[in-house]
Amino acid sequence: MALFEAHKLHLRFGDRVVLEEVSLSFETGKLSGIMGPNGAGKTTCFNVLTGHYKPDRGHVLFDGADITGRSPQAIARLGIARSFQLMNLFDEFTVFENVAIALPQTRKRGRDLLGQAYAEPALVAEAHEILDTVGLGARADDNAKALPYGERRALEIAVALASKPKLLFLDEPTAGLGSDGRDRLAELVRRLKGQVTIVVIEHDMEFLFGLADDISVIHWGQVIAHGSPAELRANPWVKNSNLGKLA
Amino acid sequence: MTGAPLLAIEGVSKIYRRGPFDRTPAFRLDVDCRFDGPEIVGVMGPNGAGKTTLFEMIAGSNVPSEGRVMVAGHDIHRVRYRERDRLAIHYHQSYQVRRFSRTRPNFMLEPAGSDYPIVHLFDEPQFNTQDGYIGFMLDFFRKLRSEGRLVFICLHPTAPMHLELLEEICERFFFVGGGTVRPFADFDSIVSAPDARTYLGELAP
Repeated sequence: MALFEAHKLHLRFGDRVVLEEVSLSFETGKLSGIMGPNGAGKTTCFNVLTGHYKPDRGHVLFDGADITGRSPQAIARLGIARSFQLMNLFDEFTVFENVAIALPQTRKRGRDLLGQAYAEPALVAEAHEILDTVGLGARADDNAKALPYGERRALEIAVALASKPKLLFLDEPTAGLGSDGRDRLAELVRRLKGQVTIVVIEHDMEFLFGLADDISVIHWGQVIAHGSPAELRANPWVKNSNLGKLA
Repeated sequence: MTGAPLLAIEGVSKIYRRGPFDRTPAFRLDVDCRFDGPEIVGVMGPNGAGKTTLFEMIAGSNVPSEGRVMVAGHDIHRVRYRERDRLAIHYHQSYQVRRFSRTRPNFMLEPAGSDYPIVHLFDEPQFNTQDGYIGFMLDFFRKLRSEGRLVFICLHPTAPMHLELLEEICERFFFVGGGTVRPFADFDSIVSAPDARTYLGELAP
Protein backbone atom coordinates (compact mmCIF):
# COMPACT_ATOMS: atom_id res chain seq x y z
CA MET A 1 0.00 0.00 0.00
CA ALA A 2 1.21 3.51 -0.73
CA LEU A 3 2.20 5.31 2.46
CA PHE A 4 2.64 8.59 0.64
CA GLU A 5 1.14 9.81 -2.60
CA ALA A 6 1.37 12.94 -4.68
CA HIS A 7 -1.39 13.43 -7.20
CA LYS A 8 -0.96 15.77 -10.21
CA LEU A 9 1.03 18.49 -8.47
CA HIS A 10 1.23 21.76 -10.38
CA LEU A 11 3.27 24.74 -9.25
CA ARG A 12 4.40 27.91 -10.96
CA PHE A 13 6.73 30.70 -9.92
CA GLY A 14 5.48 33.75 -11.81
CA ASP A 15 5.44 32.98 -15.53
CA ARG A 16 7.42 29.80 -15.07
CA VAL A 17 5.98 26.33 -14.56
CA VAL A 18 8.18 24.49 -12.06
CA LEU A 19 6.06 21.39 -11.48
CA GLU A 20 3.74 19.99 -14.12
CA GLU A 21 1.31 17.17 -13.26
CA VAL A 22 3.74 15.43 -10.92
CA SER A 23 2.34 12.19 -9.52
CA LEU A 24 4.41 9.99 -7.20
CA SER A 25 3.72 7.05 -4.92
CA PHE A 26 5.93 5.68 -2.14
CA GLU A 27 5.20 2.21 -0.74
CA THR A 28 5.54 1.29 2.95
CA GLY A 29 8.92 -0.20 3.81
CA LYS A 30 10.41 0.54 0.38
CA LEU A 31 13.18 2.83 -0.71
CA SER A 32 12.00 5.12 -3.51
CA GLY A 33 14.30 7.33 -5.51
CA ILE A 34 13.72 10.61 -7.29
CA MET A 35 16.43 11.52 -9.74
CA GLY A 36 16.98 14.08 -12.45
CA PRO A 37 19.57 16.44 -13.87
CA ASN A 38 20.43 19.71 -12.12
CA GLY A 39 17.64 22.25 -12.33
CA ALA A 40 15.04 19.59 -13.13
CA GLY A 41 12.82 20.50 -10.17
CA LYS A 42 13.78 17.76 -7.70
CA THR A 43 14.23 19.95 -4.64
CA THR A 44 11.16 22.05 -5.50
CA CYS A 45 9.20 18.83 -5.66
CA PHE A 46 10.59 17.79 -2.28
CA ASN A 47 9.62 21.16 -0.85
CA VAL A 48 6.02 20.62 -1.95
CA LEU A 49 5.95 17.08 -0.55
CA THR A 50 7.21 18.27 2.85
CA GLY A 51 4.98 21.35 3.08
CA HIS A 52 7.57 24.06 2.40
CA TYR A 53 5.68 25.14 -0.74
CA LYS A 54 1.97 24.88 -1.39
CA PRO A 55 1.09 23.53 -4.85
CA ASP A 56 -1.22 25.58 -7.11
CA ARG A 57 -3.09 22.37 -7.93
CA GLY A 58 -2.90 18.73 -6.90
CA HIS A 59 -2.88 16.77 -3.64
CA VAL A 60 -0.45 15.18 -1.24
CA LEU A 61 -1.68 12.18 0.77
CA PHE A 62 0.05 10.59 3.76
CA ASP A 63 -1.35 7.46 5.39
CA GLY A 64 -4.59 8.10 3.54
CA ALA A 65 -5.01 11.68 4.84
CA ASP A 66 -4.85 14.77 2.61
CA ILE A 67 -1.94 16.88 3.90
CA THR A 68 -1.80 19.36 1.01
CA GLY A 69 -0.94 22.86 2.20
CA ARG A 70 -0.19 21.86 5.81
CA SER A 71 2.83 23.51 7.44
CA PRO A 72 6.19 21.71 7.50
CA GLN A 73 5.86 21.46 11.29
CA ALA A 74 2.41 19.84 11.07
CA ILE A 75 3.69 17.42 8.42
CA ALA A 76 6.75 16.57 10.53
CA ARG A 77 4.51 15.80 13.51
CA LEU A 78 2.66 13.22 11.44
CA GLY A 79 5.89 11.24 11.22
CA ILE A 80 7.75 12.60 8.20
CA ALA A 81 11.40 13.56 8.70
CA ARG A 82 13.67 15.14 6.13
CA SER A 83 17.31 15.93 5.73
CA PHE A 84 18.44 18.97 3.80
CA GLN A 85 21.11 19.52 1.17
CA LEU A 86 22.54 22.11 3.54
CA MET A 87 22.94 20.43 6.89
CA ASN A 88 21.07 21.57 9.99
CA LEU A 89 23.04 20.63 13.07
CA PHE A 90 23.87 22.29 16.37
CA ASP A 91 27.59 22.74 15.81
CA GLU A 92 28.47 23.68 19.39
CA PHE A 93 26.74 20.62 20.82
CA THR A 94 28.09 17.11 20.98
CA VAL A 95 27.05 14.38 18.59
CA PHE A 96 25.11 12.72 21.42
CA GLU A 97 23.35 15.98 22.30
CA ASN A 98 22.28 16.61 18.71
CA VAL A 99 20.46 13.27 18.72
CA ALA A 100 19.19 13.51 22.31
CA ILE A 101 17.53 16.87 21.61
CA ALA A 102 15.70 15.38 18.66
CA LEU A 103 14.16 12.51 20.66
CA PRO A 104 10.43 13.09 21.14
CA GLN A 105 10.66 12.30 24.88
CA THR A 106 13.23 15.08 25.34
CA ARG A 107 11.25 17.55 23.28
CA LYS A 108 8.14 17.01 25.39
CA ARG A 109 9.99 18.19 28.49
CA GLY A 110 10.39 21.71 27.21
CA ARG A 111 13.05 23.75 29.02
CA ASP A 112 16.40 22.35 30.15
CA LEU A 113 16.31 19.73 27.44
CA LEU A 114 19.79 18.42 27.91
CA GLY A 115 19.88 18.26 31.70
CA GLN A 116 16.91 15.94 31.49
CA ALA A 117 18.36 13.89 28.69
CA TYR A 118 21.57 13.17 30.59
CA ALA A 119 19.66 12.33 33.77
CA GLU A 120 17.53 9.65 32.22
CA PRO A 121 19.28 6.38 31.38
CA ALA A 122 16.57 5.29 28.92
CA LEU A 123 17.07 8.42 26.81
CA VAL A 124 20.84 8.12 26.92
CA ALA A 125 20.61 4.51 25.83
CA GLU A 126 18.26 5.33 23.01
CA ALA A 127 20.42 8.15 21.67
CA HIS A 128 23.45 5.85 21.74
CA GLU A 129 21.54 3.12 19.96
CA ILE A 130 20.67 5.51 17.13
CA LEU A 131 24.27 6.66 16.93
CA ASP A 132 25.39 3.03 16.69
CA THR A 133 22.93 2.49 13.84
CA VAL A 134 24.52 5.27 11.80
CA GLY A 135 28.05 4.25 12.79
CA LEU A 136 28.77 7.23 15.05
CA GLY A 137 28.83 5.35 18.39
CA ALA A 138 32.48 6.19 19.00
CA ARG A 139 31.94 9.86 18.17
CA ALA A 140 29.18 10.54 20.75
CA ASP A 141 31.18 12.99 22.86
CA ASP A 142 32.80 14.93 20.01
CA ASN A 143 31.52 18.34 19.04
CA ALA A 144 29.34 18.20 15.92
CA LYS A 145 31.53 20.76 14.19
CA ALA A 146 34.56 18.47 14.61
CA LEU A 147 33.05 15.81 12.36
CA PRO A 148 34.24 15.36 8.81
CA TYR A 149 31.67 15.96 6.09
CA GLY A 150 30.58 12.33 5.60
CA GLU A 151 30.01 11.84 9.33
CA ARG A 152 28.01 15.08 9.50
CA ARG A 153 25.70 13.54 6.91
CA ALA A 154 25.38 10.42 9.04
CA LEU A 155 24.63 12.59 12.09
CA GLU A 156 21.96 14.45 10.19
CA ILE A 157 20.33 11.13 9.35
CA ALA A 158 20.60 10.14 13.04
CA VAL A 159 18.80 13.36 14.01
CA ALA A 160 16.06 12.59 11.49
CA LEU A 161 15.75 9.02 12.84
CA ALA A 162 15.49 10.26 16.42
CA SER A 163 12.01 11.59 15.71
CA LYS A 164 11.01 7.97 14.84
CA PRO A 165 9.60 8.87 11.46
CA LYS A 166 7.32 6.65 9.41
CA LEU A 167 8.82 8.25 6.35
CA LEU A 168 12.34 9.58 5.91
CA PHE A 169 13.16 12.00 3.08
CA LEU A 170 16.84 12.42 2.19
CA ASP A 171 17.72 15.36 -0.07
CA GLU A 172 20.90 14.69 -2.10
CA PRO A 173 22.63 12.76 0.69
CA THR A 174 25.78 12.22 -1.41
CA ALA A 175 26.23 15.94 -2.19
CA GLY A 176 29.80 16.96 -1.44
CA LEU A 177 30.95 13.41 -0.59
CA GLY A 178 33.89 11.66 -2.22
CA SER A 179 33.54 8.11 -3.52
CA ASP A 180 34.61 6.70 -0.17
CA GLY A 181 32.10 8.75 1.79
CA ARG A 182 29.45 7.86 -0.74
CA ASP A 183 30.05 4.13 -0.32
CA ARG A 184 29.79 4.43 3.46
CA LEU A 185 26.58 6.42 3.15
CA ALA A 186 25.15 3.83 0.75
CA GLU A 187 25.98 1.17 3.35
CA LEU A 188 24.15 3.17 6.04
CA VAL A 189 21.07 3.76 3.88
CA ARG A 190 21.04 0.04 3.01
CA ARG A 191 21.00 -0.83 6.73
CA LEU A 192 18.06 1.52 7.34
CA LYS A 193 16.12 0.12 4.43
CA GLY A 194 13.20 -1.99 5.61
CA GLN A 195 13.18 -0.36 9.07
CA VAL A 196 11.68 2.87 7.76
CA THR A 197 10.14 3.98 4.47
CA ILE A 198 12.76 6.08 2.68
CA VAL A 199 12.64 8.52 -0.23
CA VAL A 200 15.98 9.67 -1.62
CA ILE A 201 16.47 12.57 -4.01
CA GLU A 202 19.71 12.18 -5.85
CA HIS A 203 21.30 13.13 -9.13
CA ASP A 204 23.90 10.40 -8.66
CA MET A 205 22.28 7.63 -10.74
CA GLU A 206 24.73 4.94 -9.69
CA PHE A 207 24.00 5.52 -6.00
CA LEU A 208 20.24 5.26 -6.53
CA PHE A 209 20.36 2.33 -8.92
CA GLY A 210 22.20 0.33 -6.26
CA LEU A 211 19.70 1.07 -3.48
CA ALA A 212 16.22 1.93 -4.69
CA ASP A 213 13.24 -0.35 -5.18
CA ASP A 214 11.74 2.08 -7.66
CA ILE A 215 12.81 5.35 -9.21
CA SER A 216 10.99 8.35 -10.68
CA VAL A 217 12.99 10.42 -13.14
CA ILE A 218 12.16 14.14 -13.05
CA HIS A 219 13.06 16.58 -15.81
CA TRP A 220 11.42 19.82 -16.94
CA GLY A 221 9.41 19.73 -13.72
CA GLN A 222 7.68 16.51 -14.82
CA VAL A 223 8.00 12.80 -14.16
CA ILE A 224 9.50 11.65 -17.46
CA ALA A 225 10.14 8.02 -16.48
CA HIS A 226 9.32 5.62 -13.66
CA GLY A 227 10.26 2.02 -12.89
CA SER A 228 12.52 -0.35 -11.02
CA PRO A 229 16.27 0.11 -11.51
CA ALA A 230 16.22 -2.99 -13.76
CA GLU A 231 13.41 -1.56 -15.90
CA LEU A 232 15.13 1.80 -16.25
CA ARG A 233 18.45 0.13 -17.05
CA ALA A 234 16.82 -1.80 -19.90
CA ASN A 235 16.57 1.45 -21.88
CA PRO A 236 19.10 1.17 -24.74
CA TRP A 237 20.42 4.72 -24.24
CA VAL A 238 20.98 4.02 -20.55
CA LYS A 239 22.76 0.77 -21.42
CA ASN A 240 25.14 2.66 -23.66
CA SER A 241 25.85 5.42 -21.14
CA ASN A 242 28.52 5.34 -18.45
CA LEU A 243 25.86 4.11 -16.07
CA GLY A 244 25.07 1.10 -18.24
CA LYS A 245 28.74 0.24 -18.43
CA LEU A 246 28.93 0.21 -14.64
CA ALA A 247 26.14 -2.33 -14.40
CA MET B 1 -12.81 23.59 -30.56
CA THR B 2 -12.88 19.99 -31.73
CA GLY B 3 -11.58 19.13 -35.16
CA ALA B 4 -9.23 22.12 -35.28
CA PRO B 5 -5.61 21.25 -36.15
CA LEU B 6 -3.27 21.02 -33.15
CA LEU B 7 -1.22 23.82 -34.67
CA ALA B 8 -1.76 26.08 -37.67
CA ILE B 9 0.82 28.76 -38.44
CA GLU B 10 -1.07 30.93 -40.91
CA GLY B 11 0.85 33.38 -43.09
CA VAL B 12 3.20 34.29 -40.26
CA SER B 13 6.08 36.71 -40.82
CA LYS B 14 8.45 38.15 -38.29
CA ILE B 15 10.42 41.17 -39.35
CA TYR B 16 13.06 42.89 -37.25
CA ARG B 17 14.04 46.28 -38.65
CA ARG B 18 17.39 48.01 -38.27
CA GLY B 19 15.93 50.77 -36.10
CA PRO B 20 13.05 53.19 -35.63
CA PHE B 21 14.25 55.42 -38.48
CA ASP B 22 15.99 52.97 -40.76
CA ARG B 23 13.09 50.64 -41.66
CA THR B 24 15.24 48.25 -43.72
CA PRO B 25 14.53 44.70 -42.54
CA ALA B 26 17.52 43.23 -40.68
CA PHE B 27 15.84 39.86 -40.19
CA ARG B 28 12.86 38.21 -41.75
CA LEU B 29 11.24 34.83 -41.16
CA ASP B 30 8.19 33.56 -43.08
CA VAL B 31 6.26 30.50 -41.94
CA ASP B 32 3.10 28.82 -43.11
CA CYS B 33 2.28 25.28 -42.06
CA ARG B 34 -0.21 23.15 -40.15
CA PHE B 35 -0.18 20.04 -38.01
CA ASP B 36 -3.47 18.18 -37.85
CA GLY B 37 -2.47 15.49 -35.36
CA PRO B 38 0.24 14.42 -32.93
CA GLU B 39 3.77 14.22 -34.25
CA ILE B 40 7.41 14.57 -33.25
CA VAL B 41 9.05 17.21 -35.41
CA GLY B 42 12.79 17.90 -35.61
CA VAL B 43 13.91 21.50 -36.20
CA MET B 44 17.42 22.29 -37.42
CA GLY B 45 19.10 25.38 -38.74
CA PRO B 46 22.07 27.70 -38.28
CA ASN B 47 22.37 29.96 -35.22
CA GLY B 48 20.50 33.19 -35.78
CA ALA B 49 18.27 31.73 -38.50
CA GLY B 50 15.20 32.07 -36.30
CA LYS B 51 14.62 28.71 -34.58
CA THR B 52 13.99 30.29 -31.18
CA THR B 53 11.96 33.12 -32.75
CA LEU B 54 9.76 30.44 -34.35
CA PHE B 55 9.28 28.71 -30.98
CA GLU B 56 8.53 32.02 -29.25
CA MET B 57 5.86 32.89 -31.82
CA ILE B 58 4.22 29.47 -31.34
CA ALA B 59 4.39 29.81 -27.53
CA GLY B 60 2.86 33.30 -27.68
CA SER B 61 5.82 35.20 -26.23
CA ASN B 62 6.87 36.92 -29.47
CA VAL B 63 4.17 38.61 -31.58
CA PRO B 64 4.39 37.97 -35.34
CA SER B 65 4.55 41.03 -37.60
CA GLU B 66 1.92 39.40 -39.80
CA GLY B 67 -0.33 36.34 -39.69
CA ARG B 68 -1.52 34.28 -36.72
CA VAL B 69 -0.69 31.15 -34.77
CA MET B 70 -3.64 28.90 -33.95
CA VAL B 71 -3.18 26.22 -31.27
CA ALA B 72 -6.11 23.80 -31.07
CA GLY B 73 -8.36 26.48 -32.52
CA HIS B 74 -7.15 29.33 -30.26
CA ASP B 75 -5.15 32.30 -31.54
CA ILE B 76 -2.34 31.99 -28.98
CA HIS B 77 -1.66 35.72 -29.03
CA ARG B 78 -5.22 36.39 -27.89
CA VAL B 79 -5.09 33.98 -24.92
CA ARG B 80 -4.45 35.18 -21.33
CA TYR B 81 -0.71 35.42 -20.72
CA ARG B 82 -0.63 32.99 -17.79
CA GLU B 83 -2.66 30.43 -19.72
CA ARG B 84 -0.68 30.42 -22.96
CA ASP B 85 1.57 27.64 -21.69
CA ARG B 86 -1.55 25.47 -21.28
CA LEU B 87 -1.61 25.47 -25.10
CA ALA B 88 2.06 25.67 -26.12
CA ILE B 89 5.01 25.45 -23.74
CA HIS B 90 8.58 26.50 -24.56
CA TYR B 91 11.26 24.53 -22.69
CA HIS B 92 14.49 26.47 -22.83
CA GLN B 93 17.37 24.12 -21.92
CA SER B 94 16.34 22.48 -18.65
CA TYR B 95 13.44 24.78 -17.80
CA GLN B 96 11.06 27.12 -19.58
CA VAL B 97 11.68 30.80 -20.11
CA ARG B 98 8.50 32.77 -20.33
CA ARG B 99 8.61 36.48 -20.50
CA PHE B 100 5.57 38.02 -22.06
CA SER B 101 5.39 41.65 -23.04
CA ARG B 102 1.96 42.38 -21.63
CA THR B 103 0.29 44.71 -24.07
CA ARG B 104 -3.32 44.02 -23.22
CA PRO B 105 -5.16 43.50 -19.93
CA ASN B 106 -6.15 39.91 -19.20
CA PHE B 107 -9.90 40.60 -19.24
CA MET B 108 -9.65 41.33 -22.94
CA LEU B 109 -8.07 37.94 -23.56
CA GLU B 110 -9.50 34.42 -23.82
CA PRO B 111 -9.03 31.42 -21.52
CA ALA B 112 -6.88 28.57 -22.85
CA GLY B 113 -9.40 25.82 -22.20
CA SER B 114 -6.68 23.27 -21.48
CA ASP B 115 -4.94 22.02 -18.30
CA TYR B 116 -1.89 20.42 -19.85
CA PRO B 117 0.08 21.85 -22.80
CA ILE B 118 -0.88 20.64 -26.28
CA VAL B 119 2.28 21.77 -28.10
CA HIS B 120 5.67 21.08 -26.45
CA LEU B 121 8.64 23.03 -27.80
CA PHE B 122 12.01 21.69 -26.67
CA ASP B 123 14.65 24.30 -27.45
CA GLU B 124 18.16 22.80 -27.55
CA PRO B 125 17.60 20.17 -24.83
CA GLN B 126 20.89 19.05 -23.29
CA PHE B 127 21.62 15.62 -24.67
CA ASN B 128 24.58 14.16 -22.84
CA THR B 129 25.44 10.56 -23.72
CA GLN B 130 27.39 10.03 -20.52
CA ASP B 131 24.60 10.09 -18.00
CA GLY B 132 21.87 8.08 -19.72
CA TYR B 133 19.09 10.64 -19.32
CA ILE B 134 18.68 10.80 -23.10
CA GLY B 135 16.84 7.47 -23.07
CA PHE B 136 14.26 8.79 -20.60
CA MET B 137 13.91 12.04 -22.55
CA LEU B 138 13.23 10.19 -25.81
CA ASP B 139 10.66 7.96 -24.09
CA PHE B 140 9.01 11.08 -22.69
CA PHE B 141 8.73 12.61 -26.19
CA ARG B 142 7.11 9.38 -27.39
CA LYS B 143 4.73 9.36 -24.43
CA LEU B 144 3.62 12.94 -25.17
CA ARG B 145 2.99 11.98 -28.77
CA SER B 146 1.02 8.87 -27.77
CA GLU B 147 -1.15 11.11 -25.58
CA GLY B 148 -2.04 13.23 -28.59
CA ARG B 149 0.50 16.06 -28.13
CA LEU B 150 2.59 17.80 -30.74
CA VAL B 151 6.32 17.78 -29.95
CA PHE B 152 9.04 19.94 -31.50
CA ILE B 153 12.72 19.30 -30.84
CA CYS B 154 15.07 22.04 -31.93
CA LEU B 155 18.67 20.97 -32.07
CA HIS B 156 21.87 22.42 -33.41
CA PRO B 157 23.80 19.18 -34.03
CA THR B 158 27.40 19.24 -32.84
CA ALA B 159 28.06 15.49 -32.69
CA PRO B 160 27.04 12.51 -34.88
CA MET B 161 24.98 11.27 -31.93
CA HIS B 162 22.69 14.31 -32.20
CA LEU B 163 21.76 13.34 -35.75
CA GLU B 164 21.29 9.71 -34.75
CA LEU B 165 18.80 10.61 -32.10
CA LEU B 166 16.89 13.04 -34.35
CA GLU B 167 16.66 10.25 -36.93
CA GLU B 168 15.46 7.83 -34.25
CA ILE B 169 12.80 10.04 -32.70
CA CYS B 170 11.47 12.50 -35.33
CA GLU B 171 8.86 11.73 -37.95
CA ARG B 172 9.20 14.97 -39.86
CA PHE B 173 11.74 17.76 -40.11
CA PHE B 174 11.94 21.49 -40.56
CA PHE B 175 14.93 23.40 -41.79
CA VAL B 176 15.04 27.04 -40.65
CA GLY B 177 17.33 29.08 -42.90
CA GLY B 178 17.38 31.77 -45.54
CA GLY B 179 14.34 33.48 -43.97
CA THR B 180 12.01 30.50 -44.36
CA VAL B 181 10.95 27.31 -42.62
CA ARG B 182 10.96 24.37 -45.04
CA PRO B 183 9.35 21.02 -44.27
CA PHE B 184 10.96 17.66 -45.09
CA ALA B 185 9.05 14.39 -45.05
CA ASP B 186 11.87 12.36 -43.49
CA PHE B 187 15.44 12.33 -42.25
CA ASP B 188 16.99 11.29 -45.58
CA SER B 189 15.39 14.15 -47.47
CA ILE B 190 16.55 16.85 -45.01
CA VAL B 191 20.12 15.57 -44.88
CA SER B 192 20.30 15.48 -48.67
CA ALA B 193 19.10 19.09 -49.13
CA PRO B 194 22.09 21.19 -50.25
CA ASP B 195 21.71 24.03 -47.69
CA ALA B 196 21.18 21.54 -44.86
CA ARG B 197 24.31 19.67 -45.95
CA THR B 198 26.31 22.91 -45.96
CA TYR B 199 24.98 23.68 -42.49
CA LEU B 200 25.81 20.21 -41.15
CA GLY B 201 29.30 20.25 -42.67
CA GLU B 202 31.29 17.20 -41.63
CA LEU B 203 28.33 15.77 -39.71
CA ALA B 204 26.30 15.30 -42.93
CA PRO B 205 25.86 11.54 -43.48
